[in-house]
Amino acid sequence: MSRKSLLKVENLTFKYGAEPPVLKNISLDIAGGECIAVIGQNGAGKTTLAKHFNGMLKPVSGKFYVGGKDTGQLKVSVLARTVGYVFQNPDHQIFHDTVAKEVAFGLKNFQLPNELITARVAAALEAVGLTAHHATYPFNLSKGQRQRVALASVLALQTEVIILDEPTTGQDYRESMQIMNLVKQLHQNGHTVIFITHDMSLVAEFAQRAVVLCDGKILADGGVRSVFSQPELLQKTFLKPPQITALAQSLNGYAVPPDILKVEEMYELLKTRGEEIGCFN
Amino acid sequence: MTLLKIENLAFSYPQSKEPALKNINLTIKKGDFTGITGPTGAGKSTLAYCLNGIIPHFQGGKLEGRISLRGESLFALGTAQISRMVGSVFQDPDAQIISTDVEQEVAFGPENLGFSPEKIEQRITGALKLTGISGLRHRPTAVLSGGQKQRLAIAAALAVLPEILLLDEPASELDPAGTEEIFQVLKKLNRKHGITIIIIEQKTEQLAAYANRIVVLNEGAVVMDDAPRQVFSQLQALKDAGVRIPQVAGLAGMIGINNRPPLPLTVEEARGFVERILRR
Repeated sequence: MSRKSLLKVENLTFKYGAEPPVLKNISLDIAGGECIAVIGQNGAGKTTLAKHFNGMLKPVSGKFYVGGKDTGQLKVSVLARTVGYVFQNPDHQIFHDTVAKEVAFGLKNFQLPNELITARVAAALEAVGLTAHHATYPFNLSKGQRQRVALASVLALQTEVIILDEPTTGQDYRESMQIMNLVKQLHQNGHTVIFITHDMSLVAEFAQRAVVLCDGKILADGGVRSVFSQPELLQKTFLKPPQITALAQSLNGYAVPPDILKVEEMYELLKTRGEEIGCFN
Repeated sequence: MTLLKIENLAFSYPQSKEPALKNINLTIKKGDFTGITGPTGAGKSTLAYCLNGIIPHFQGGKLEGRISLRGESLFALGTAQISRMVGSVFQDPDAQIISTDVEQEVAFGPENLGFSPEKIEQRITGALKLTGISGLRHRPTAVLSGGQKQRLAIAAALAVLPEILLLDEPASELDPAGTEEIFQVLKKLNRKHGITIIIIEQKTEQLAAYANRIVVLNEGAVVMDDAPRQVFSQLQALKDAGVRIPQVAGLAGMIGINNRPPLPLTVEEARGFVERILRR
C-alpha cells in the first residue's frame, strides 16, 4: 500500500447553524493504509469530524480532500465509493426488512451484477457471523447484532476507506474482539481504517496512530505509544491510558518504559527483569 | 442481613426454545455492591426484569421459582410496590428520562406516591445532593451530558428511597469520564449511605475496583459468584464465559499469583504487586 496522502483536512472549521464551532481549524493528513483511532470525551467533535470524511457534512471553512479531490464539489454518492461509514447507532442506518437486503442495498446502488452482489453479501455476513440470519427482520435481532448488520453493509462495499463510529459500544467482550479483529484484517488487506472509540485498550491494541480531540481542536496526533506516554495531556480531555500503560507509568522509578501498551509486553519485561534478579518462576 | 433471596428462578420467553434463565440461586445481603457480568444472551437483563417487576407484569413467559425481598414474595407484589423497593436505571438515559427539567424528573416518583409538597421537596433535595447534581436542579434535561443524565436517572430512582438500586449497563454509552462519574456516585451511595447496589456491567475494570461481589452469568446460569479477587483470579473460567479480564488481574495471572497474593484489582494494587517483584 502506498503511503501517499489519501485524506487531507486543511484548516477545517464546522458549526451547526448559529451554534459555536464544533470543529476549530483542524488539519490532518492521512495516508492510504493507515489505522487511526480518534479519541476524546463526549462532545469533543469526533463524530462531527468523521462525518466530513464521507461528505455527510461539509466544512464551513477550510478544505477536505480525498485522493487529492476537493470534497466540497463531490456528492456523497460519489464519495461513498471511496469512503464507507458505519454509524454508532445501527438504527440510524438500517431500513430494509431482511438482513440480506440491507447488506445488498449499497451494492445495488453501485449497480453491480447480481451474482457479484450475492457473493459479496454472503461474504460480508459470514465475516460478521450473521450468515444464519440472512432472512431475519433486522429489528428482531439484538442491538449488538444490528450493529454487525450495519458493519456488514459497509464491508460489502469494499471501499478504500472505512470509518467506524464506536463500533464496539453495546457489544460484549467476545463480540468486541470479533469486530476489532475484522477491523485489523481490513487494515492488513490494505484498507485505510479510522475508528472512534472510548475504549483505550482497543486503541492500544488495534490502532497505529491516535488523534486526540478536545473541544473541537486536535490536542495530540501521533503514534499510539507516544500519545499514551503523555497522561497529563490525555487528562485534559478526561481520558486515561489503558490500565497496563498507567501501571507502567506508575513504575518509572524502576526504569519501566512509560509506553507499554499490552499486558504481554509488561509480562515479558517483568520476566526478563525478574529472571535477572532470580525471582521469577 | 439477607435482603434479597432468589431461589430456583427460571424463565422462558414465549415461543423460545431455550430458557433465558435456568435455576438461578442468589442471596444478596443488605449493603452489598454486586456486579453482574457475562456475555450477550447470558440472561443478565432478564434477571433484572425479574427483580424490578417487568417480569411477570409486562413481559409474559414461563416463570418458575421464587424471589423474596425481606422475606416477602416479589411476584405477589404490584409494580407500584416493587418500584418503592427496587429503583431501576437503564442503559439509555434518553429512554428513561421523561421530564423536560431536572427537578420535575426527580419529583415524579415521590409525587406519584402522593407525598406532601414538603416531603417531595425533601426527597428532591436529598436525591440531587446524593448524586452530586444539586447545581443542575433547574436545568433542562436536554442540555445535560451523558454522565449527568445517568446521575439524574439515579437521583430519580433514589427519590423514592428504594432498598435496592438496580442498574442495567448504565455506563455503556458513556465516555471514560462519565463512567467514572457514575461509579463514584454509586460508591458513595453504597459506602456512606448503605444502599444496596446491583449493577449489570461489561466494564469489568470498574466492577473489580468498586463491587464487593461479582456474579458471572452464562447461558442463563450462574457460573461464578464470589468476591472480585476470587472471581478475577480464575482466568480460564472467565475466558470460557467470554468475560473481559481487567488488565492488571490478567498480568498477575500470567505471572502466577500462587505465591504472591493478593490478586491486584486496580493500578495502585498492581503497582505494589510489581514492586515486590522488582525490589527483590
